[in-house]
Amino acid sequence: MRIGVPHMGNLHIPLRALLERLELDFVIPPVNNRRTLSLGVRYSPEGMCIPFKLTLGNLIEAAELGADTMLMPAGSGICRLGYYAKTQEQVLHSLGYDAEIISVGVSQRKLLGLLEAIKRLSNNASWFKIISAFRFGLAKLNVLDTIERAVQKVRPVERIKGTANQLFAQAVSATEQADDYKSLKRVQKDYLEQLSLAERDESAEPLVVGIIGEFYVLLEPFSNMDVEKELGRLGVEVRRSIFTSEWTKFSLFLNPLGVNEKDRLHKAAMPYLKRDIGGEGWESVGEKVLHAKDYDGLVHLAPFTCMPEIVAQNIMPSTKENIPVLTILCDEQLGKPGMLTRLEAFVDLLKHRRRARVKV
Amino acid sequence: METYLGIDVGSVTTKFAVLDSKDKLVFHLYLPTQGKPIEMVQEGLKEVKKQLPKEVNICGVATTGSARYLAGVIVGADLVKNEITSHAVGALHYFPQAQTVVEIGGQDSKIILIRDGIVTDFGMNTVCAAGTGSFLDHQALRLNMNIEQFSQRSLESTTPVRIAGRCTVFAESDMIHKQQMGHRTEDILYGLCQALVRNYLNNVGLGKDIQPPVIFQGGVAFNQGIVKALREELDTEVIVPPHHEVMGAIGAALLVHEEMSATQQESQFKGFGISEIKYRTSSFECKACPNLCEIAQLSINGKALARWGGRCDMWERAE
Repeated sequence: MRIGVPHMGNLHIPLRALLERLELDFVIPPVNNRRTLSLGVRYSPEGMCIPFKLTLGNLIEAAELGADTMLMPAGSGICRLGYYAKTQEQVLHSLGYDAEIISVGVSQRKLLGLLEAIKRLSNNASWFKIISAFRFGLAKLNVLDTIERAVQKVRPVERIKGTANQLFAQAVSATEQADDYKSLKRVQKDYLEQLSLAERDESAEPLVVGIIGEFYVLLEPFSNMDVEKELGRLGVEVRRSIFTSEWTKFSLFLNPLGVNEKDRLHKAAMPYLKRDIGGEGWESVGEKVLHAKDYDGLVHLAPFTCMPEIVAQNIMPSTKENIPVLTILCDEQLGKPGMLTRLEAFVDLLKHRRRARVKV
Repeated sequence: METYLGIDVGSVTTKFAVLDSKDKLVFHLYLPTQGKPIEMVQEGLKEVKKQLPKEVNICGVATTGSARYLAGVIVGADLVKNEITSHAVGALHYFPQAQTVVEIGGQDSKIILIRDGIVTDFGMNTVCAAGTGSFLDHQALRLNMNIEQFSQRSLESTTPVRIAGRCTVFAESDMIHKQQMGHRTEDILYGLCQALVRNYLNNVGLGKDIQPPVIFQGGVAFNQGIVKALREELDTEVIVPPHHEVMGAIGAALLVHEEMSATQQESQFKGFGISEIKYRTSSFECKACPNLCEIAQLSINGKALARWGGRCDMWERAE
């Protein structure tokens, strides 16, 4: 048995740590690239979203490397994601790969789904071993997210453009190589320090833009054409609503903080949308209402054909809490030059809006 | 004389606008891009030099349009600005009360909403190019007339036919179908204008609060049939400014004037001599990681001037 996993942002780093500690045979397919996308697009049923296409591409590339047991998040009540694992398994079979996809229920069973799947895969390893491997994986995730938050702050104000991106790339590989808590801690400390030392424009008061929308396109830069880096290059500070570590904590542990945050968003959305419509649609509306005052603008990311986000997109203009929103639909047809033109124009719009507010 | 130059390199046409220090338009030029943005910028500059008096001094250059970065490197632009902002600034210069800007160009169309002189929202076509200049050019060619004749003939229509305008391919087949059924050419032409306006309002303008005065800019505003159809459909005041086709370039020139006055710096303009330089463009696949980005490169005599297209900035920083 050889395990294969799909990609989402840097999630493969904690997953590698987890699987290594359990001494399991596994492969991590190449990070998302054009071939992954072509494979995914070619073998996907019509009308599927970019998260489906990219993860399918990952699983095919994992199968090529000999993986026969794949882990895919699933669960009812979220969106079509609930049946992705089954559909992808059929595609793999039709391509001649005798692979099994284990759907990891992240919606209702939280932590248990993943832990039980791992327990089974690890040939009944002791709970102690599983939980300690899991903790180490989560520690890596936390380090990555902590550093990324710092990167988001440095990008818009760095004097030498690209400094933060370079440091982040180094930090990611250093985190991947760290093999105990001590070295992990050192990586975090080192890179936070280097980022804080990066030469910056102290007088800059960067625009603040919230990135909201569907979690996969938020967390996988390949699917959103590096929208955060591009905004950073335009001198905009990005606040992202979802981080992998929080998402994992929330969807696995029902972390008390996470629940509160979601409740807060739902409550804010209430006057405009009274129920969960799948995906992050409810949360997106809530984010707009909540952040209308503290952000300059919002970039709303949604996969093309994503029903929950399309519904949210159409509700957003009617809220009385007013803040400019730029919706970007992500799929393989999204052209980068067109997206950049819109981002640049959006940033100009926000700058003028802020200037006019200051005058009043 | 102090002047500011705006260059708008679009997919179909390249526009030049020269403003004096009082932001008055002193010269403008409208050329077909013909898929050769570099050559057209060079040719346009030659023309600008020829037409302007000798004592003219270019104090700032801005580029806009889809080839703004490429053109910016070639001329040594002080400012590279997206076409949405440029069009809004151009419109506001002539019509401070403008609330809506409709811009239909060769390949894309935009809508810009303005309130109290500030852009509040914009939209750009995403799914379809029906309703843009290229499609109209193509249909005029197919009917064996030039675009001016198209414009005139469409106004003679008495009973326009309804044409499905959802997509260029379907619009074309529907149009052919109507021809084969014996409808008059002018009725088909105006029917097409109506279809394109409907398509524009239902795609780009969907959900946007269109308030008068509406300023209609871009090359397609030359087409009287489209202007008439837009007025009818919106049932409101639609103004076509005198220099609607070069508004993007005017906006860019205005922006660079403002920028240069604020920074008090010397212009980076490389001079009219660049019209004689031989530029070479090439592209290659970067193999440094699995992304395999396509990198485009601009060079003179084998020396790279600029590179674009990578997901990381490795090549942009490389010497």
